[in-house]
Amino acid sequence: MFETIIGLEIHVELKTKSKIFCGCSTGFGAPPNENTCPICTGLPGTLPVLNEEVVNLAMRAGSALNCQINHVNKFDRKNYFYPDLPKAYQISQFDLPICEKGFVDIKLDDREKRVGITRIHLEEDAGKLIHLEDAPVTLIDYNRTGIPLIEIVTEPDMRSAEEAVTFLKELRAMLEYVEVSDCKMEQGSMRCDANISIRPLGQQALNTKVEIKNMNSFKEILKAIQKEEKRQRELYTFGEAYKIKQETRKWDSAKGKTVPMRSKEDAHDYRYFPEPDLLPVFIQEEDIVKVKESLPELPTQKKTRFAETYGLSEKEIDILTGRKMLADYFEAVIAEGVPPKEASNWILVEILRLLKDEEGDEIPIKAVHLGDLIKMIEAGKISRTAGKEVFEALAITHKSPTEIVEEKGLAQISGTDELESAVKEILDYNQQAIDDFKNGKSQAVGFLMGQIMKATKGKANPKTAKEILEKMLVNLYVKSNM
Amino acid sequence: MKITTETINYIAKLAKLRFNEDEAETFAKEFEGILDHFQNLDKEDLSMEGLAAAKEGKSILRKDEIKPFENKEELFQNAKGMRESYLSIPKVIE
Amino acid sequence: MKIEELTIEEIQKAYQEKRFTVTEIVQGYLDRINKLDPQIGAFITLCKESALKEAEAIDKKLANGEDIGMLGGIPVAIKDNICTRGIKTTCASKILEDFIPPYDATVVQRLKDAGAIIIGKTNMDEFAMGSSTENSAFQKTKNPWHLDKVPGGSSGGSAAAVAAGFAPLTIGSDTGGSIRQPAAFCGAVGLKPTYGLVSRYGLVAFASSLDQVGPFTRTVKDCAISLQTIQGHDPLDTTSIQREPEKDYISDLHKGVKGLRIGIPKECFKEGLDPEIRSAIEKAVRQLEEDGAVVEEFSLPIMDSGLSAYYIISSAEASANLARYDGVRYGYRAENFTGIEELMENTRTEGFGKEVKRRIMLGTYVLSSGYYDAYYKKAMMLRQKIQKVMKQAFEAYDIILTPTSPVLPFSIGEKTADPMEMYLADIYTVNINIAGVPAISIPCGFSKEKLPIGLQLIGDHYTEKKLLQAAYSLEQGLGVYHETAFLKEAE
Repeated sequence: MFETIIGLEIHVELKTKSKIFCGCSTGFGAPPNENTCPICTGLPGTLPVLNEEVVNLAMRAGSALNCQINHVNKFDRKNYFYPDLPKAYQISQFDLPICEKGFVDIKLDDREKRVGITRIHLEEDAGKLIHLEDAPVTLIDYNRTGIPLIEIVTEPDMRSAEEAVTFLKELRAMLEYVEVSDCKMEQGSMRCDANISIRPLGQQALNTKVEIKNMNSFKEILKAIQKEEKRQRELYTFGEAYKIKQETRKWDSAKGKTVPMRSKEDAHDYRYFPEPDLLPVFIQEEDIVKVKESLPELPTQKKTRFAETYGLSEKEIDILTGRKMLADYFEAVIAEGVPPKEASNWILVEILRLLKDEEGDEIPIKAVHLGDLIKMIEAGKISRTAGKEVFEALAITHKSPTEIVEEKGLAQISGTDELESAVKEILDYNQQAIDDFKNGKSQAVGFLMGQIMKATKGKANPKTAKEILEKMLVNLYVKSNM
Repeated sequence: MKITTETINYIAKLAKLRFNEDEAETFAKEFEGILDHFQNLDKEDLSMEGLAAAKEGKSILRKDEIKPFENKEELFQNAKGMRESYLSIPKVIE
Repeated sequence: MKIEELTIEEIQKAYQEKRFTVTEIVQGYLDRINKLDPQIGAFITLCKESALKEAEAIDKKLANGEDIGMLGGIPVAIKDNICTRGIKTTCASKILEDFIPPYDATVVQRLKDAGAIIIGKTNMDEFAMGSSTENSAFQKTKNPWHLDKVPGGSSGGSAAAVAAGFAPLTIGSDTGGSIRQPAAFCGAVGLKPTYGLVSRYGLVAFASSLDQVGPFTRTVKDCAISLQTIQGHDPLDTTSIQREPEKDYISDLHKGVKGLRIGIPKECFKEGLDPEIRSAIEKAVRQLEEDGAVVEEFSLPIMDSGLSAYYIISSAEASANLARYDGVRYGYRAENFTGIEELMENTRTEGFGKEVKRRIMLGTYVLSSGYYDAYYKKAMMLRQKIQKVMKQAFEAYDIILTPTSPVLPFSIGEKTADPMEMYLADIYTVNINIAGVPAISIPCGFSKEKLPIGLQLIGDHYTEKKLLQAAYSLEQGLGVYHETAFLKEAE
């Protein structure tokens, strides 16, 4: 029997305003090469200057991940040639990273496990290459060069693809919580590579590991690790373990398998040496303490607070606090005056559905809009069914619920006068039903309600209409008995 | 210290340079001479020199402020090819 | 008035006294360059129109009685490895033959802010690697004192320009002696400031931990004026000085050398030192003693291994600094290639000269896996030792005195065969860069053949004031600066 050994390398973009070594904006979605300057395009003569917020955010991340923050850390040059790397070296950290020796606790199937964090180091991102299909040309966009990254390297502590994904979700939650990064895998602000090897149970030594790249979502990470695990297991089982080389393989989601990658540098001799243009970063113990104390509410604290304040179930709270985005959204909706239980229901069912079960990065409906919608339903301005229709529309348009209700004519008729005349009209035409009611046939009420809803094209507020109908029926009953 | 042309060719590959046989041989010889000279490093008593970085000091940092580069139009004036605002180069095969 | 004999000080006085206009002075220099630079080859690029336009603007200011700045109306030539916005900056290399920077180096900005007028970019050894300016991809520069001899390097063009009277101020860079040695060869004053005193932002990097920018002038006072203008903290350069530097180098220049302790390392006077240089230095020492300095011999044994440390560290850093030149974003691009790897390889193979390739290879080698500990790590440790040894020396002495170069200016083509021979000539200068301390070379005499001889004064970190005082005293005592190279228009 074999066990799978998995270690992860996660690159996370830090949420700073400007780049790590220059004053260019880090804003996403700018036109190509809009956020560039001589420094991040590596023009001759330029020099890097370190952004203080990068150090702060890295310290916060390290703190949240229970790492030791080093009092001195320094930068090194990692030398290799590639068109997305303007200086032909990446300024990174080799032997003295900013954080080391941390951990993240995860829970899977009621089992708790601790995943070790070997190190966290700072580095600058490279540019983006776009290879054209219809021309022998590659386009380069340097907006991304110089975006500050932390690289988080885990110990090879995970034993299954599920554990790896659970860890990643917990990591993402932590980093979102301490507001260090947007962690949007779709936008590339969080990227993950996996190192996988297999060994017979009981063996201490680790076997050859394979690196897997190009997994762009948690679903793909799960599939890719499982596929690679299967590939390796088969080779071991059939005595072809020698075929497992220490290499980098690319996850091809279309083909559903990992394929060997053309290496960027045949000789991976990065010739690391200390970056002479930068000085070491010195961190005082008091700064470390300050960072720890200033950490925003972490998941565990939020869970406790939610349990005490909102009276929701543990399961509900777990999901709501699973992502800071969701927790913030929940509290924003409540701030609109929506009862916690209602808000929770809508979010856990409808919003999560839109979010493709926690993978998506943006909630497409503004909290204030959802709040308004829920309040409208509570106030009887629209029916619950109509409400679902409005919800779907909110996910697509930027309009407010009020605007959508008006456009689609979904307003429920709740006004007593209007309803009374509608009910009276139905009663005038349905003497048989009135007689049935007088004779004790309660289905008559249902029948009459049906007629009322039909006549009002479903817009009558059922509750109010029923009240009015029953009142009128009683009156008629009383009158007829006088 | 003997330097072979294989070594020269390996280093050249790392440095993205290319030499023919003769050039590689000349280089190898020159290197030997230069590296021989470097042997006087070993004469020095370096036992007192710990390479640990200084333990204390001030970090030189800048504020996290956006300062766009003013002369954007000139930034890519030396490029051999642009397409819209992308830098365009002969295709790279990954 | 002979324009080639004017100093910054004299030109400024002439402007104030309205004896000349800025336009006249600039035109005067441009005319001289036009007539005589074909023989010298100091300039790669001349900025005639812009210089005259700027001169006009400053003349207007003068007419209005406005302040024109510390270097107002002073023509300055800049070594071609310092970025000048809109003006071609080639580093004397084919690989940057058409490169036009979109920004000014900080030192250029400071010169402009002080009113200086850029008249052109000067020739150099390719990427500052060399000691003779023979490694330029474009042209050779001749020594104005003797047209068959080299002007020194790598800032040969800047040194020659001052010596030939093409500008009263030029700017060079010094990584292992590249300001001081050409200053000595050309009979000029050349200063390498303390590492970090002058910003490196915009200086095309050769060896990041050793490079410094500095001025060439005819006199020590001009040097002091220039230093005051270009020095100072730069937020764009993390390695630049983090506090206010010495503000005034000029007022106390006349202080003299009475009581100054001057040490002379005996290791500098072994065989290999040209006897004519030795006697010129000895004469200068006697002058210093006459003026009240206390001069003493001592031992500074670190010199030989310092050279090894220098070549290892500088090549290693250079190999990384020059990796960006690959034909992708700017500069020369090879015509024939298949695929991006070949594009880069062919571009670099065709675009770089021999010495540059040699240093890149050496640097790549010492950093490659398996060799890092043997060479680079050892060199860094030795560097620390050298710094300690120098610190100790400066406890005993205010200033250390050495010849700038062990040899007289040699003939063009004489030393290019053996790289090691060229490297050995750097022995008096490289340790200064390793330690990061300031050093100035001043002319202290001539050989029988009228070849200039330079003397080097070295100080502890940030002691430029003391250094300039001693240099000034010696300069005034020896009177060498009164002589000018005689150039006549080619027939």
